[in-house]
Amino acid sequence: MTVAAGLGYALAALGPSLSLFVAVISKKPFLILTVLSSTLLWLVSLIALSGLWRAFLPLKSTAWWPYGLLIITSVGFQEGLRILFWKVYKRLEDILDAFADRMSKPRLFLTDKMQIALAGGLGHGLAHAVFFCLSLLTPAFGPATFYVDKCPQIPFFLISAIISLGFVTIHTYSMVIAFNGYAEGKRIDQIFVPVIHLVAGMVTLINLASGGCIIGIPLLYFLAVLTLLYCGKLVWRRLTESRSRQ
Amino acid sequence: MDRNPKPTSILESLGEEIIRIVAPVSICMLLVVLLVTVLDANSSSDSSSLTTIATIAYNEDTSDSIWDKLKGALLNSLVFVAVVTVVTFVLVLLFYLRCTRFLKLYMGFSAFVVLGFMGGEIALFLIRDFSFPIDCITFLLVLFNFTVVGVMAVFMSKMAILVTQGYLVVIAILVAYWFTLLPEWTTWVLLVAMALYDLAAVLLPGGPLRLLVELAMSRDEDIPALVYEARPVTNHDSSPRPVMVERRVWKERMSLASGMGVSSTSGSNSDFNTNSVFDSNSMSATLSSATNGQNETRLVITGDHLLSEGASQLSAPLISRPLQRTNSTRVGQEEVSTENFHLEGIGLGSSGAIKLGLGDFIFYSVLVGRAAMYDFMTVYACYLAIIAGLGITLMLLAFHQKALPALPVSVLLGVLFYFLTRFLLEVFVVQCSLHLLMF
Repeated sequence: MTVAAGLGYALAALGPSLSLFVAVISKKPFLILTVLSSTLLWLVSLIALSGLWRAFLPLKSTAWWPYGLLIITSVGFQEGLRILFWKVYKRLEDILDAFADRMSKPRLFLTDKMQIALAGGLGHGLAHAVFFCLSLLTPAFGPATFYVDKCPQIPFFLISAIISLGFVTIHTYSMVIAFNGYAEGKRIDQIFVPVIHLVAGMVTLINLASGGCIIGIPLLYFLAVLTLLYCGKLVWRRLTESRSRQ
Repeated sequence: MDRNPKPTSILESLGEEIIRIVAPVSICMLLVVLLVTVLDANSSSDSSSLTTIATIAYNEDTSDSIWDKLKGALLNSLVFVAVVTVVTFVLVLLFYLRCTRFLKLYMGFSAFVVLGFMGGEIALFLIRDFSFPIDCITFLLVLFNFTVVGVMAVFMSKMAILVTQGYLVVIAILVAYWFTLLPEWTTWVLLVAMALYDLAAVLLPGGPLRLLVELAMSRDEDIPALVYEARPVTNHDSSPRPVMVERRVWKERMSLASGMGVSSTSGSNSDFNTNSVFDSNSMSATLSSATNGQNETRLVITGDHLLSEGASQLSAPLISRPLQRTNSTRVGQEEVSTENFHLEGIGLGSSGAIKLGLGDFIFYSVLVGRAAMYDFMTVYACYLAIIAGLGITLMLLAFHQKALPALPVSVLLGVLFYFLTRFLLEVFVVQCSLHLLMF
């Protein structure tokens, strides 16, 4: 609608991640590099998925199952990539520890490892927000706005910004949970993350129905808050454990 | 040296050097994208009248067929690369004949032309678009002062480093903006052609850039050219000690243990906390890996002495050679050939900081600016691709330890991602988003 509205939509999607970036990540250059590389990884996965699905798009059918299939394949692919990311991170951790030993500095603390996981998750969330929300915001800086048929109450830009905010939260914190789960070997953490991602993706299918976004978006936010609380509980537990061990 | 109450982890300062190069590159790209989007409306009428060396062979018309456009673009790029090669050889010759003063004067002159004329013209566009109330005399005065300070910043090395860095980035932005005014096919083919030329000129034995760098090395001099130099990273828990830094730290390399698995060899690496002086007959330098690469203890060589700085860690991770490039642009009505600008490739500054040639800044920004003319999704994708290419180049540098150009990997990745995004990703994302399906 105007530059102000465009900026408003952009900040609605990215505001919390921006403050997280400035407060935590910008202080440590290595974390900035982690954010950039995980953003790149997400982009590459997205390009691979779009290459895979290009022949079938645009999907003309109004039935929900082609879209469901799209989401299931995409989420599955990305969760597979998360495991790959974890393996690369493990090797990197060994290299960093060896480097620290050579420099006679202490090895990576628990908080360091969690910060790296947070940075990785933030990179994924940032990529999601940038490609699904920000890149479509260009018309919002102009004089008009746009509404989608299925959800005519709110402008399209606002809906996509709100949905992106939910997904950014989910991506950011589920990486911390996932890394913790792989590090400790806890099954429940390892299963929690892909399940949440898949459920969140499927929840957006509700938006296909007319007026469905009124139900879909609160459900998505419920999942986002669930992820946030679970992550908080997990981190608290690990920190108190390590502190009591010292 | 007193101990800190809590030992700082390595995560505090790891990777700082890379960020100090990535940040100005990102700022340059961001400003070019902003300029391109803001000045968008009036570019369609001007592009047909832009005649430079890059369009001398063929001027693109929207009504031509695809094959014609491709042929024309190839012709343009060939002419441009040929001109660049010839001028680079002339530069090598001048450097060989020790006309350094002439080269420096030429550098200052080209900075003056870029800042004064190109900067002035862009400022006029902006004033016209935003109806900014300013009169001629004030404008000329401000522009003149701005230009003169810029020339001094480029010429003399005594200026505050932020001012010099700022002016170098401004010069890169201005030149990159003018390049984005070229027709579309020509721009893309030109970028690929320059990337390939860069590869050839640095790696082939007869390449002009390789000759230039070897000349500079053998004479122990700096190449007079416009190069961006990042500030060196110093560790804070070091007692300030005068470090005598030798300029040519790339004569012989003993690769110390670097994070990427290269085995640790040097024995003098052992005590970090002593500041002892060793005698050594050979000059050698340490490298740290590009990814971790910082705060590795650096053995600094002065003549025959090896000074081991335990605490003060000036990291100097990268080696290769700065490369040279020429550039021709049209200014107003006359053709001005600006030279000596763009040292490409990543090099080691005399104080141990990373140097990146201005030509790299310019061509990265041209790529991103051209992507901005299509859509913002391509901008983000190309930005990530270029930064990834830069990171890969740094890593390759740490591995191979010889001259590597910074342009090919980034530009080729950028072009690849541009076309992939434009033809594959956009349809996918727009389809999903319009149905409010996200994952």
